[in-house]
Amino acid sequence: MIDFSSPRHRAKFGYLLLAPAVLMMALIIIYPILLSVDISLQDVRIARVGGDREPWTLENYDWLVRSGEFWNAVWVTAKMVLTVGGISLAIGLATALLVNQKFRGRALARLFVALPWAVPEVVATVIWAWMLDSSFGVVNWALLKVGLIGAPIQFASNATAAFFAVCFVMIWKGYPLVSIMLLAGLQSIPEEQYQAARVDGANVWQRFLFITLPSLAPVIGVTAVMTTLWVFRDFAIIYVLTQGGPIGSTTTLSILTFEQSFSFFRMGQGAAVGVVTLVICAFISRALVGRFANSVH
Amino acid sequence: MATIDFDNVQKSYGEVHAIRDFTLHVEDGDFCVFVGPSGCGKSTALKMLAGLEATSAGSISIGGRDVTELGPGKRDIAMVFQNYALYPHMSVRSNIGFGLKMRGQDKADINRRVEAAAETLELTSYLDRRPRALSGGQRQRVALGRAIVREPSAFLMDEPLSNLDAKLRVQTRSEIVNLQKRLGVTTIYVTHDQVEALTMASKIVVMRGGVIQQIGSPDTLFAEPANIFVAGFIGSPGMNFFRGPVEIENGRAQTRFGEQVVPLSVSPDRLPRGEAIFGIRPEHLKIGGETGGTPVSLGLVESLGTEKILHFPTPEGQAIHSLQKVIGSDDAARDSTTMLARVIDDRRYSDGEHVRVALPEGKVHVFDPETQKALS
Ligand SMILES: Nc1ncnc2c1ncn2[C@@H]1O[C@H](COP(=O)(O)OP(=O)(O)O)[C@@H](O)[C@H]1O
Ligand SMILES: [Mg+2]
Repeated sequence: MIDFSSPRHRAKFGYLLLAPAVLMMALIIIYPILLSVDISLQDVRIARVGGDREPWTLENYDWLVRSGEFWNAVWVTAKMVLTVGGISLAIGLATALLVNQKFRGRALARLFVALPWAVPEVVATVIWAWMLDSSFGVVNWALLKVGLIGAPIQFASNATAAFFAVCFVMIWKGYPLVSIMLLAGLQSIPEEQYQAARVDGANVWQRFLFITLPSLAPVIGVTAVMTTLWVFRDFAIIYVLTQGGPIGSTTTLSILTFEQSFSFFRMGQGAAVGVVTLVICAFISRALVGRFANSVH
Repeated sequence: MATIDFDNVQKSYGEVHAIRDFTLHVEDGDFCVFVGPSGCGKSTALKMLAGLEATSAGSISIGGRDVTELGPGKRDIAMVFQNYALYPHMSVRSNIGFGLKMRGQDKADINRRVEAAAETLELTSYLDRRPRALSGGQRQRVALGRAIVREPSAFLMDEPLSNLDAKLRVQTRSEIVNLQKRLGVTTIYVTHDQVEALTMASKIVVMRGGVIQQIGSPDTLFAEPANIFVAGFIGSPGMNFFRGPVEIENGRAQTRFGEQVVPLSVSPDRLPRGEAIFGIRPEHLKIGGETGGTPVSLGLVESLGTEKILHFPTPEGQAIHSLQKVIGSDDAARDSTTMLARVIDDRRYSDGEHVRVALPEGKVHVFDPETQKALS
């Protein structure tokens, strides 16, 4: 009989306890990934698990590198990641700095900053789709009233407008999480650091630059990764708002994956896009997490 | 180099009066220690001097210049914090040089001065490390380095030794004193530890509840405490107190301690009628005489080798039960019915032993039972 409480055998007991969880993870994470890799290597239109297998081929990847659609989706995704990531970080940091100050009604302000995060994605998008509507939308109405524009912006048919509308809703939905995480980061900076810097003669801007930013760097890194992956992954906002159009201007890699698989029923090609997206995401997270984690420690 | 003046400074946080009527003059080059129990407002006073907290009223001057309205960066002071407050993402070199960099000094000059400061504090081989990679004592020295490199007109230190272990604390204590002597920079040092205060200071400010109790040199505070609080706070262990009658015999005042008649050096007309509070330091008690004094039975005997702390009950009816509140509960070993004697000899004492305790003439302090002030 093995005594699992002895220091010698404690690790074994740990593995034993972990085993079911690891198996579950393997089933629900690893299996689908392997499945998509498998499908991406077959020339299939509608894949059926357990059906007849096609022979393995690189045809789908060949299509990928040659097709304009794939490179367009890469380009759209990159633009969107940079726009949404950059602006969310900026707004998130600004709001976090704001609600980290002591002032009356701070609790309320914090609630407001966090609010968009609590609204379900589809609900938020539907509300925005309605507000951005070119004939009935409140946004166009307001812009017209103020006189900033002469004619309603066609969010559905103007490629640039559609892209920025999607970005806008993503930022609106995404910055609260950034803000909450950065606020937690800000609160972990000891007050004495700022006092020391003030005695050392640092002004507000220098304290931000030399104390706040370096201390926040790891949190910023993690947040940037999360936002990036979120934009890569997001489907609901784009699909509800624009369905990837007009003329592919908001077709990101995940929209393309969906389109190929379920609109055009070319599951092999869809899976290939999905696999490539996965690889890109893995590299980005590795690079960002590694860099920011190293910059402090 | 500068004098420091607090002129009737007040500080309140809403309802809480953290500092009241704080008036103090510190000479150029003084090592001034603020000491008092936790929460008495030492840090608050120091932060107001640093410019990190606003005063509610009154004014503060450094080197004759009124700095009440200036920010911390413009007061030409350097501060050492309790937790050192080193910048974790900067090397030791950048930590020390940060203040100079913020003042726009050129790189070569900063480097030269940082290296000189590092030399003084024996930090040269650690200059390129991050603070995390240093021991507590080394971090403490980096914090000191950050202060001395700027050559400010005053050093402010808030309990800089409290995170060090006992041995390192004693060692660093003398290093700081030597450094201060050598540089001659006016220093304000905050601590709750009266031993630190006595050993380091040229001037001690004893505080309690936001009010200054007494200002003086270590010797003055020890020999002539201004009130019961200071008498009980200063010294290790602090002064013993007992209640006794005031009697006049042949024009001289005297009191009684158990069986012993104790002559007082205070003139009779300054003493209250009836009763007074008397104090005697543990090291002044005479133990083990054949005659004289009063017999007591020893309680606890704490032995530190040749030095011993003897506990014995206060004579019947002479304990002061309201005293706990006055001296505070800092000293856990002390309660109002026990007195302590500190002896250094080769005799062995055992629990329950009967010995005679005598109060030598001229060593007894007298306090007014109403105001608790010393009478002399
Ligand atoms: N920011 C603050 N707000 C309210 N009360 C405070 C604040 N800072 C200190 N105090 C109060 O002022 C008193 C003195 O505090 P402090 O100066 O830190 O004492 P210490 O002598 O231990 O350094 C304490 O009673 C404390 O509760
Ligand atoms: Mg304090």
